[in-house]
Amino acid sequence: MKSILTCQGITKNYGAGDIIEKVLKPVDLEFFEGQASVLIGPSGSGKTTLLSILGCLLAPSEGQLLIAEQGVNFSDKSSLTEVRRQKLGFIFQHAQLLPFLTIEENLAIVGRNAGLDETDIKQRLDNLLQRLELRAMRYKHPNQLSGGQRQRVAIARALLHRPSIVLADEPTAALDWQTGKTVVELLLEQARLEKAVLVVVTHDTRMLPLFDRILSIADGLLSEQQQTATTDNTFYTQS
Amino acid sequence: MASVVIAVSTKMLSHNRMRFVMTVTGIAIAFFLAAAQIGLLVGWVNTNSAIINNAGVDIWVMAKETRTIDYGTAIPRQRIQQVRSVEGVSWAEGMLVGWINWQHPEGKNITVEVIGLDTSNAGGPWKLIEGNLESMHLPKTVIVDELSKNALGVSQIGDSAEMQGKRATIGGFSQEVRTFTAAPFIFTSIKNALEYVPYYRDDEISYVLARIKPNTDILAVRDRVADEVSNVEVLTTAEFAVRSVKYWMLETGVGITVIITAVLGLLVGAVIMSQTLFAITQDHIGNYATLLALGFHQKTLRQIVLAQSITLGGLGIIVGLILFFLACNASARSPIPLETTTTVTTGLVAFSLLCCIASSWFSIRAIFKLDPVSVFHG
Ligand SMILES: Nc1ncnc2c1ncn2[C@@H]1O[C@H](COP(=O)(O)OP(=O)(O)OP(=O)(O)O)[C@@H](O)[C@H]1O
Ligand SMILES: [Mg+2]
Repeated sequence: MKSILTCQGITKNYGAGDIIEKVLKPVDLEFFEGQASVLIGPSGSGKTTLLSILGCLLAPSEGQLLIAEQGVNFSDKSSLTEVRRQKLGFIFQHAQLLPFLTIEENLAIVGRNAGLDETDIKQRLDNLLQRLELRAMRYKHPNQLSGGQRQRVAIARALLHRPSIVLADEPTAALDWQTGKTVVELLLEQARLEKAVLVVVTHDTRMLPLFDRILSIADGLLSEQQQTATTDNTFYTQS
Repeated sequence: MASVVIAVSTKMLSHNRMRFVMTVTGIAIAFFLAAAQIGLLVGWVNTNSAIINNAGVDIWVMAKETRTIDYGTAIPRQRIQQVRSVEGVSWAEGMLVGWINWQHPEGKNITVEVIGLDTSNAGGPWKLIEGNLESMHLPKTVIVDELSKNALGVSQIGDSAEMQGKRATIGGFSQEVRTFTAAPFIFTSIKNALEYVPYYRDDEISYVLARIKPNTDILAVRDRVADEVSNVEVLTTAEFAVRSVKYWMLETGVGITVIITAVLGLLVGAVIMSQTLFAITQDHIGNYATLLALGFHQKTLRQIVLAQSITLGGLGIIVGLILFFLACNASARSPIPLETTTTVTTGLVAFSLLCCIASSWFSIRAIFKLDPVSVFHG
């Protein structure tokens, strides 16, 4: 299996001197092509922090991040943008679509920014809108969509430029359980189709059986739990 | 990438039409306010030097240390002959300026500025709407501007009043010949003026106005006149205009006030324009953060913000400019006109565009200061 994303001894501290807060203790992790992981942990445990580092939005205090076996240079803003532009897709808690663009335009600008040609963009758009059952929404604006529909658009946007890594921070927190589950299932299905590494942060432990790997973080310490089974539904507990 | 910049910048603006219209209106008003203050200053400067600039002469000969055309003092009448005999001078005539009383028919006394003109009326009103310029050479006949009808208590040709205790009858009305002092201009012949102004002797005038022969060097003629005619100062028309304007502008409180108001107008306009544009970017700060996170380069965002500033600023400035030109037109016949020159207008537009570009620079800095992680917090 191809190694897509690697963390080597990554730590993150906030503050300085006496009031230093160690949010991440050394994290060593490797993600392989097509692998879907879920990241869980109590509030304030460092989930968003880790995801931000994986997404090249936040520099780690120590350690190395490798994407496609290439070290990421966190001191060069423009090369970070370049990595995000080509290799990463993001899904946020509130879809964060641009309200002044139609669904189609919201997707198209990501394709253009990534340097895809217009015919490719059109094909990807048609294909993703179909797969995510959004064809009727194409020319609508985000405020005309439901929360679940907006998250589906966010999934399409995250995948459009064929990133090798897709990161989602609590993509279902603003949705009801049924809608949220559908969104996560769609996300998993599409990411697997695209062979992208997927890391999803969630508070909802009922989602855990859907993923290949379960990463859990507490007090900045990352550990991996055994994924028991795809049929096992004993995770129906509230976090 | 141009297509992304255009799509995002125009859609961001057109999505909220109301906001768009308000922004353009805001910028237009800010531009107009600044332009109006500058226009007042230009109008004021033009008024200051209008008599000089409209006289159609090249050289002014005056008593030493004359600070403005309005405060001319007596020089002997024979200076006209002396100036005429200088090499390079083709023509010379006299002019007299004096300050005396005008008795309003209702009784109150006001101060007026009498301007006495020689045979060809050089230095006189350049636009007459009623009557005949030559009438001022009739005894006790004067020409005043239509703007001072009320102040002088006259309304038509033939009306008369007492000037310095002597009768003065209106022979005509000029137009747009303004004074910026409270004292209206009273145009008449030098001969008549000498009857009214008590502190001039019959052989005295205030200025000699001269024209030079074609293809002669004006500065050389000026210097020759200064050499050959004693006890006078000689200035070109441009020099005298500058001196008069400088006097009123810098040596009196009135001028300083006009300048300060103009500078304030410019500053306030600049601040409103920048603030209006800055607010648009601030409104979309979350969207810019999203774009940054999604891998849009800073350069692309910079272009988006700049494109918006130039679009909004440009439209606002065009609307403001139209308002300004309308106001210039509407005020042309008022005592305080708004005026402009091509240079001033170009300068104003350039300055305003610069403000818009500067504000986009500040907006962009605000975007780039964002904590990129903030995208995860919505
Ligand atoms: N910019 C920052 N400066 C200082 N401390 C920070 C900063 N960002 C996060 N922290 C701290 O780091 C810790 C981890 O924050 P993080 O946002 O990663 O938690 P989380 O696991 O995502 O929590 P939640 O589930 O509530 O979203 C928290 O204690 C937080 O206060
Ligand atoms: Mg978080």
